[in-house]
Amino acid sequence: MKKVTIYALSTCLWCRKSKKYFEENKVPFEAVDYDKQSEARQAEMMKEMKCAGCTGSFPFIKIGAACVQGYDPDEFEKLLKK
Amino acid sequence: MSLEERKKALRYLFGPVVDKLGYKFTPVEEDADFLLEQEALLEAETGIPYCPCQARTKDRAENMRIVCPCIPFHRAHYDAMKRCWCGLYVRKDVTDPDKLKQVPEERINAH
Repeated sequence: MKKVTIYALSTCLWCRKSKKYFEENKVPFEAVDYDKQSEARQAEMMKEMKCAGCTGSFPFIKIGAACVQGYDPDEFEKLLKK
Repeated sequence: MSLEERKKALRYLFGPVVDKLGYKFTPVEEDADFLLEQEALLEAETGIPYCPCQARTKDRAENMRIVCPCIPFHRAHYDAMKRCWCGLYVRKDVTDPDKLKQVPEERINAH
């Protein structure tokens, strides 16, 4: 099973829906709420997101080596099956 | 002002603005209520109703681009998605927002 990490905002509706998607599909994941992290950790997360070609929009989801920005169940399923 | 009152006030303030931009509140009432609540909480914390799904940085000018309604700053992106990033607003012709995808700006600009 691929490792799944969700970078989220605690205020974000689509971050909640993403977490729910992986819970309902019984896929273990780690969730990190960006807005609850230290400034140093936030800088690390933002750097990682921008290196992946993404902006500061959430959710940002890593599935194995791939990453997805935004709530996209079709893409999640595709990456989990790859 | 209570949280519920502030949510009503934000709805009252934002409605006419987004209407002129060709948008409306999402008809998914549960989502609209949740998002307005998050904005009212962010406003209580920071003084500004920021978008609940985009991160603030140390750059004030950059942060101003995610003050709700942030449609004018992301016009091409949101018009292509027919919704804004957090989903509080959808284009006026949208009837089923659940069918709309959240597409990153980079993927839209790539087309």
